[in-house]
Amino acid sequence: MAEEKKGRALATKAAANIPKFVRGNLAATIKAKQEGKKVAYAYIADGQDEIMRAMDIVPAWGESFAGVCAAKRDAEKYLQKAESDNFSRSLCTYATCTIGFDMIREEMGVDVVPDAPWGGMARPDMILGSAQLLCDPRFKWPQATQHYLRDVPVFVGAMYYPPFDPKLNHHDQEKFYVKYCTEELRECVRFCEKHTGKKMDWDRLAEIVELSDKTWDIFIDAYELRKAIPTPMDTGDAMNTMVPLTFNLGTQEAYDFYKELYDELKEKIKKGEGVASPEKYRLIWAGGLPSWFALGDFQYFNSKGATFPVEVTYRGCEKIERLELPKTNDPLEHIAWRWVRYWTHWYDKARKRPGSLPKVERIIEYIEDYKCDGVVFHSAFSCRSWHAGIIHQAETLKKVYREIPILILEGDIVDISSYNEADTHNRIDAFIEAVDAYKQRMRR
Amino acid sequence: MVESKDLKGLAKVERYYNDYGVRTKELKANGKKIIGYVSALGPVEVLTAAGVVPFRLKGNVDEAITKGDAYMETIVCPFVRNVFDAAIKGRFDFMDGMVLPHLCDSLDRTSDVWRDYLNLPYFHFFNVPHVTDEPSIEFMKEILKLLISTLEDYTGNKITIDSLRQAILLHNENRRLMRSLYDLRKNNPPLISGTEMMKVLVAIMGIPVEESNELIKEIIEEVRSRKPSLDRQKKRIMLIGDQIDSVAITEAIEGSGAYLVMDDISIGSKMYYQDVDEEKEPILALAERYLRKLKIPTTFVDTGGTYQENLNARFGHMRKYIEEFDVDGVILLVYKYCDPYGFEVPAIKSYIEEIGVPVLYLEDEYSTSSLARMKTRIEAFLEMIA
Repeated sequence: MAEEKKGRALATKAAANIPKFVRGNLAATIKAKQEGKKVAYAYIADGQDEIMRAMDIVPAWGESFAGVCAAKRDAEKYLQKAESDNFSRSLCTYATCTIGFDMIREEMGVDVVPDAPWGGMARPDMILGSAQLLCDPRFKWPQATQHYLRDVPVFVGAMYYPPFDPKLNHHDQEKFYVKYCTEELRECVRFCEKHTGKKMDWDRLAEIVELSDKTWDIFIDAYELRKAIPTPMDTGDAMNTMVPLTFNLGTQEAYDFYKELYDELKEKIKKGEGVASPEKYRLIWAGGLPSWFALGDFQYFNSKGATFPVEVTYRGCEKIERLELPKTNDPLEHIAWRWVRYWTHWYDKARKRPGSLPKVERIIEYIEDYKCDGVVFHSAFSCRSWHAGIIHQAETLKKVYREIPILILEGDIVDISSYNEADTHNRIDAFIEAVDAYKQRMRR
Repeated sequence: MVESKDLKGLAKVERYYNDYGVRTKELKANGKKIIGYVSALGPVEVLTAAGVVPFRLKGNVDEAITKGDAYMETIVCPFVRNVFDAAIKGRFDFMDGMVLPHLCDSLDRTSDVWRDYLNLPYFHFFNVPHVTDEPSIEFMKEILKLLISTLEDYTGNKITIDSLRQAILLHNENRRLMRSLYDLRKNNPPLISGTEMMKVLVAIMGIPVEESNELIKEIIEEVRSRKPSLDRQKKRIMLIGDQIDSVAITEAIEGSGAYLVMDDISIGSKMYYQDVDEEKEPILALAERYLRKLKIPTTFVDTGGTYQENLNARFGHMRKYIEEFDVDGVILLVYKYCDPYGFEVPAIKSYIEEIGVPVLYLEDEYSTSSLARMKTRIEAFLEMIA
């Protein structure tokens, strides 16, 4: 067993419950196989959550398992296994970690891989990928996995949204993008029907979609309580509390979790409890997935009196009413509209501020709403999806908004080999000094 | 110095290769609009129909990135970074605009960077999907129409069904001619070397299709008239990879004592082995060609059948080339940080090795800085298959 680092201390009770969720999701895949239920390898932000839930397909989330391996500092054996078959270390390490795990399970010929962190994932009956603007591994990873699980059918749908172009009106394009997403979701349903032997229960799907909408709403309601000074919860916790939204959307447990989080944060605010005492600096985690093996770095920020009341990462939802979704009786079309508008609803704002970008508008909105004094990004070497374009966002933010202090941390999501704690902490120290000077300047 | 217009065949190719963009600059001076593009997804027929000159961007493997890194992360594909570095240094200042196809994360995630820093009069992100089913074809038609409307707005030229048909005919002719040239590599020894072929591939991606067609005809005539060498002992190699556009690698292979007889690279056979259906409605035909016929790793292919059937659909053309061009060994060159190709390596390698053809897999940067190391591995590979 690799060295397991002491976990980060969590500010909220809700976040402390997350390991149970994650373990539960992994265990559910093993249990499903014993009960004869279908298991699908699934990938986050693919828009297929509700379809799986409505068809009783149990998702096995690759990103979650790889994150667990990383957090337990036990990913290396899987990364090396994948590397032994010529997968480069520069590829997405979420993917190579789980492919290495699959290779080992196939070689052993077992259902449950011994020594796998938290029991590992069950062998899937199908793989549900998605091609989109978010990330190439979402369709290359399923294809590469099938190389080792040759009997497992793969579906890759498409979930696109209009790219931002200051000269083009995206509203003109939304309709055909939504039509495309809807048709692709329908293809996904057909695939699932074929491989489960069950028909979609459309009423049940509609109920699940409605529950997801409510979950989006309560998530935002709870997270917006973090605007309080001092903030009752920061990004260190949010990297945990994102789990139900990201991996359990469309379930009552996910909704209930955020309702409890909402109540807990209300209570903390009432008592004046903050993450850092005193809270000297408020920062935004403006982009990038965290180093799962170094979540303790958030605590390091906290020890300097710095908190993160808000983050872009894993805030994969918005208050439904803000998206102004057209009415439809087709739950798939609703999912498609929700998906497209989630991305495009910052476009008009960006168009109004010359030189701006939707991603930057989002950061500005959060800086203002959450009263932030500095901006932190994380650039992970193995992930182009999240991490290419960060320099441009940072430069644009300074250009169109103000000279706010910005720190771009460097590391990886899973591969610890690139991480240097002392160096990271030194950079954080220097950044905090810059934030302090900035705050003083702003007061004058 | 002899002017380009006075040169013919491979001599002209040499000029165009060594001074990439020289002809494009002349056309620009004569009032032509130049629209750059990247990758095999560049919609050349639409650009030709719009009356502009399609100009495929390339970097320079001999030049270090000195400016681009201030704008783009080093985790971005080294080819994309190198090309952007060239662009930001002003190497393509003659360009009026750019079509950036949605090929991969490295292009998609940096599209804002290209648009905002090059600040060209025309810029369009061509959002090609990765999936090939029926809804995707319909979607592809929509984004082709959107591309057409933006080009019409910019150029003031109406792109009609007739102009599209005409452009399709010209580009299909271009592809047929290039396949004829490729056929001359089937001889043993091949009548045209891999290095000469690389120069042809580069030279013709920066000139209008009509000029390209004339040039290829001259090259075919010139090459056909050659007397074949008698050295039939050298191993015949196929090169697989993405944006390989320099003779550095071809010289490394041929300098190590092999014939480079075929490629499956982005500027090579991928561009020329699939025609647009001339009988179908042009926009549908273009959608089908770029989505279903073009064999690139960013297009997800699944037949719905067995894994082996999927492999045949994805890589069957490689086995066909191996047979037709009598290939003894394959070099698979993938750039670091390339997810689309990187995730295919085990599948491509085993698919080719299953038919008894050895594969050398190389991961490298888009740079000659590591060429010596790569050459050593190529030499060892050639010794192994000798």
